[in-house]
Amino acid sequence: MAASESEHIHHGAAHGDDHGGVSGGHYPGMWIFPNPRVMTREMAEKVSAMPGMFTLGLLLTFALLVLGVVGFIARAAADGFDDRAPWGYYMATFSFIFMVTSAAPVAAVAFRFTKSHWRRPLSRVSELFGVVGIFNIIAFIPMMMIFPPILNPNPGQGHDLEIRRTIWFETPIGAPHAWDFAGVIGLAVTAIFILWLSAVPDMAEARHTATGFRGWLYRTLAGHWYGTKRQWNAQKAGLALLGAFYFMTLIFVHFIISSDYAQSMIPGWKDSIFPVFYSLTGFQVALGLILIILYVMRRWGGFQEYYGKSVFWSASKVQLGLTLLWAYHLFAFFITYWFGRLVVEQNIIKYLFAQSYGGVFVANLVLSFGIPFLLLLWNPVRRSAWGPPLAGLSAAAGALMFSVRVFVGGANSGNIYAPFLNEVPAAVYPDIWDIFIVIGGIGGAAFIYLAATKIFPMLSVWEVKEGALYQKMGRLIRGEYLVLAKPE
Amino acid sequence: MQEGRTPIPYRQINRELLVSILQSPKWFPITVTILGLIVLGGFSAAGYLVNKGFGVTGLNRPVMWGFFITNFVFWIGISHAGVMLSAILRLSKAEWRRPATRAAEILTVFSLMTAMMMPLIHTGRPWRTVYWIYTLPFVPYDYARGIWPNVRSPLVWDPSAVYTYLTSSILFVLVALIPDFAVLRDRTTGLSHRIYTILAMGWRGNPRQWKLQIIAGVLLSALILPVFVSVHSIVSWDFGMAVSVKTWHSTIFAPYFVVGAVHSGVSAVAFVMIILRYIYGWQNYIRPEHIDALGRLLIVVATGWFYFFVMEILFGFYGREADELAVRDLQFMQNPWNIWMMVFVFTTYFLPVGLWLPRAFRRNLWIMSIACISVNIGMWLERFIIIVPGLQNKQVFTFSWYNSYNPSAVEWAIIGATFALVSMLMLIIARVVPLIPLYDIKEYEVLRTEVKIGRVSVPAVYRED
Repeated sequence: MAASESEHIHHGAAHGDDHGGVSGGHYPGMWIFPNPRVMTREMAEKVSAMPGMFTLGLLLTFALLVLGVVGFIARAAADGFDDRAPWGYYMATFSFIFMVTSAAPVAAVAFRFTKSHWRRPLSRVSELFGVVGIFNIIAFIPMMMIFPPILNPNPGQGHDLEIRRTIWFETPIGAPHAWDFAGVIGLAVTAIFILWLSAVPDMAEARHTATGFRGWLYRTLAGHWYGTKRQWNAQKAGLALLGAFYFMTLIFVHFIISSDYAQSMIPGWKDSIFPVFYSLTGFQVALGLILIILYVMRRWGGFQEYYGKSVFWSASKVQLGLTLLWAYHLFAFFITYWFGRLVVEQNIIKYLFAQSYGGVFVANLVLSFGIPFLLLLWNPVRRSAWGPPLAGLSAAAGALMFSVRVFVGGANSGNIYAPFLNEVPAAVYPDIWDIFIVIGGIGGAAFIYLAATKIFPMLSVWEVKEGALYQKMGRLIRGEYLVLAKPE
Repeated sequence: MQEGRTPIPYRQINRELLVSILQSPKWFPITVTILGLIVLGGFSAAGYLVNKGFGVTGLNRPVMWGFFITNFVFWIGISHAGVMLSAILRLSKAEWRRPATRAAEILTVFSLMTAMMMPLIHTGRPWRTVYWIYTLPFVPYDYARGIWPNVRSPLVWDPSAVYTYLTSSILFVLVALIPDFAVLRDRTTGLSHRIYTILAMGWRGNPRQWKLQIIAGVLLSALILPVFVSVHSIVSWDFGMAVSVKTWHSTIFAPYFVVGAVHSGVSAVAFVMIILRYIYGWQNYIRPEHIDALGRLLIVVATGWFYFFVMEILFGFYGREADELAVRDLQFMQNPWNIWMMVFVFTTYFLPVGLWLPRAFRRNLWIMSIACISVNIGMWLERFIIIVPGLQNKQVFTFSWYNSYNPSAVEWAIIGATFALVSMLMLIIARVVPLIPLYDIKEYEVLRTEVKIGRVSVPAVYRED
C-alpha cells in the first residue's frame, strides 16, 4: 500500500512554495520526515512484495550471470590458467566489481562517523553491498590461479630478475595468495557483519509481522534484541568499531589487490600513488552507484516518500570532492612520470596513457572526471535527484575503462620478470568470451544485491526514525528553516 | 556545537573579544621585546650570511639544501591550516569552526611570509630572486653568459604558487574582517578610527552588504581550495621532479605533502587557540568541545598522513634499486638518521594519536598542547629526513657523504628567529584585529537552538539550506 501525501511531512514546493518565502529558501522535496508507523509498515510490505519490474530485473541479472559463467568456462577450456594474458578482462571485471562494491559500505560507515543526518536514507543501500562480498570471494578464486609466480621459474635468462618486483618482496609465508584471499574474505565477512548489526533493530521489529522463512530468519538474526539502552549503546559502539576496522582493512586489501594484479604485472612500474588512486576511484564510483540505486528506487520503486532530495544534494558535494581528488591524484602521477623523462616511465605512459590504451584513457578521463565535474559544478544539477546519479553513472563507466586500461594492460605486458618495460606492447581488445565475462560479472553482482533486498529493507528504518528526532523545521525570524541537532 | 553554554549577549561578545585590542596587558611589551630581539638576532645572522657567503653555513656538496629548505617546507605546511579550517569547514558548514577560522587564516599569512624568507636567504644573494618572480621574456640572468630563467623548473613554479596563495589568503582574511573592522571603527578614536574607517570600506551591516560578504566568503573559499592544494603540491615537486636524488622521485609526494601540511597546520592552529584562550581569557569562545573537534579531525588527518607515509616508504623498497635502497638504509639503519626517523614517526603519529584517542585527553588543554607541539616537531623532522639523506647519497657509487651536513650556529639562529617572528607577528596582530571573528560568533548566537528529545536537550542549529 502506498502512503498518501499527508502521511509523510514534506518541506518545500510540495506545499506550493518553490523558492524562498516562508520556507526560507528550500527546494521542492528537499526534506521529508517520514511517519514512523507508516514507514515500518511499508518497508515490511516492500520486502515481501515481488513487483513485476523487480522480478524482471532479477531474471535479467541472472541471465547475465549465466552468460558470464558460459564465457568463463569457454575461456578456461580454450586457454587454461597457466598464462595470465587471456584473463585480462576477467581481472579487469573482478577489479571493477571488487573496487566498487567493497568501497560502497564505507559510505554508511563514514557518514555515520561524521554524524551527517542526510546519510540516514542511504545507509542501508550502502551496507547491502556487503552481500556482494560473497560474489567477490568466489570470483577471486580464479584470480589466484592465474597469478604468476613471484620467483622466476627460468632464472638467469638475459637481464631477467630472479624475483620479480612485488610488494611481498621475498615471498613471506602464504604470500600472496593466502594474504590476498584472507583480505577479500575478511572484507566480505566484516561488511556482512556490519549489515547484520545495522539491521538488527529493523529485523527485531519485522519479526512480529513477517511469516514463513522471513519470520524465522528475522527471529534468528535479531536474537534477543529488545531495544534496551544497553543494547542500543552496544550496537552503536559495535558499528563504530566495525566501521573503523572495515575501513582500515579495505585500504589494506585495495593496496594488495591493486599492487599484485596491476602494478607488479607491468615491469618497472613503480607508482606509490596507485593504491591510493585505486581506493579513491572505488569511493567515487561507490557513492555514485549508491545514488543511482536511490534514484531508481525513488523513481520506480515507490521510495519517493523516503529519499528526499537532500540526500542527493549533500552526497553530490562529496561526489564533487572525490571527482576533483581523482583528477588531482591522476595529475600527481602523470606529471611526476612525464617530467621525469626516464625511459621506463615514458614507456609506461605510452602503454597506459598515450599509445596502446590512449583511447581508453581518454574515455576514462572524460567519464571519470570531465562529465561528472561539469555536471556537479552546477547547483541546480546537484540539487536535483537525477544529476548526481547521472554523474555516478558516468564515473562508473569511467572506472570500468580504468580497470580495462590498467588490469588488461597488466595482464598483457609481456615478460613479467623483465626489469623494465623495454617495449610498448599493443592494446588487447575483448573477444566474445571477454564480453560475456564482463557483463556476466556485473550481472552477477547485481543479482546478489537484488536478492538481498528481499531480506533486508532498502531503508534503515531505525536510523531514519532516529533522524526524525534530531531534525525538524523551525521558525526563525520570518522564515522556516531546518533545525539540526547533533548529540556529542 | 557548544554544549550547555548559556547565550552570550552581543555587548559581552564585543567586550570580551576586543579585549586584545582595546586593553594593553602588562606582559605584552615584554614578550614582544624578547621575541623581537630573537628576530633581530636572526636577521643579523642572515645579514652575516649574505656578507660572508655560504661558507658560514653547514651546507656543502652534495648537501646543498639543509635547514633553510626544511624550514621553508615546514612553514608552508603550517600555512595550510588556514584554508583547511576556514574554507573547507565553512563550505561544509561545520559549526565548531567559528572561533578557529580567523587565527588560522592569519597564521596562514604570517607563515607564508616567513616561509618565503627561507629560499630568499638560501640563495645567498637575495636580490637575484627577482628572476623567480619575473621570469621576463627576452631578459637573461645577469651573468652575461646568456643563461635564461627556466620556466619549466618547479623552482620557478614554486614562488608563483606561493605568492598566489599569499595574495588570495590576504584577500580571504580581509573580506572576512570587514564587519569586524566596522565594529572597531565604531569603538575607536583618532588615528585608529581613521584607519579602521578605511578598512571597513563603508560597512553599515545592511542586508545587501551581508549578502555580498557571505557570497564573497563562499566564493573565495571555493577558489582558494585549488590554490591551497597546488601550493604544497608544487613544493613537493621541487623534490619529486628531481630524478637524480633517489627517494625524491615519487608519485605520491604531492598528496603526501598536502596531507602532512594539513596535519601540522591544524595542530599548530589548535595550539594557537589554546594559547589565545589562556592569555586573553576567551573561555566562553574557545571551549573544550572546539579543541575536541579539532582533535577528532586530527586523528583522521594523521591516519591519512600515516597511510601516505607507509606507501611512500614501501614503494621506495618495492623498486629494489640499489641507489634508492642505500638511502633507505641510511634513513632507517644508520645512526643518527635512524634515531631521527624513530623520533619523527613517534612524535608525528603514535604519540599524538595515542593522546587524541580518549575523549578526556582531547578536552584536556595541556595534553592537547603536548600532542600538537609533538606533531610539529615530527613534521619538521620529516622534511629534514626527506631532504638531507637523499642529497647525502646522491652519488652513492662514487663517494659516501654520510653525515656530511652539520648545521651551523648561523642556521640555528635563523631557524629559531622564524618561530619567534611568527609568534611576535601573531601577538602584534592580536592588538589590531580580533583573532576570533565577532560576527561569526554572533551569527552562531542567532542560529543556535536546542531540540528536546525525551528528557534531554540536544544542541542544535538552524540551517539556511
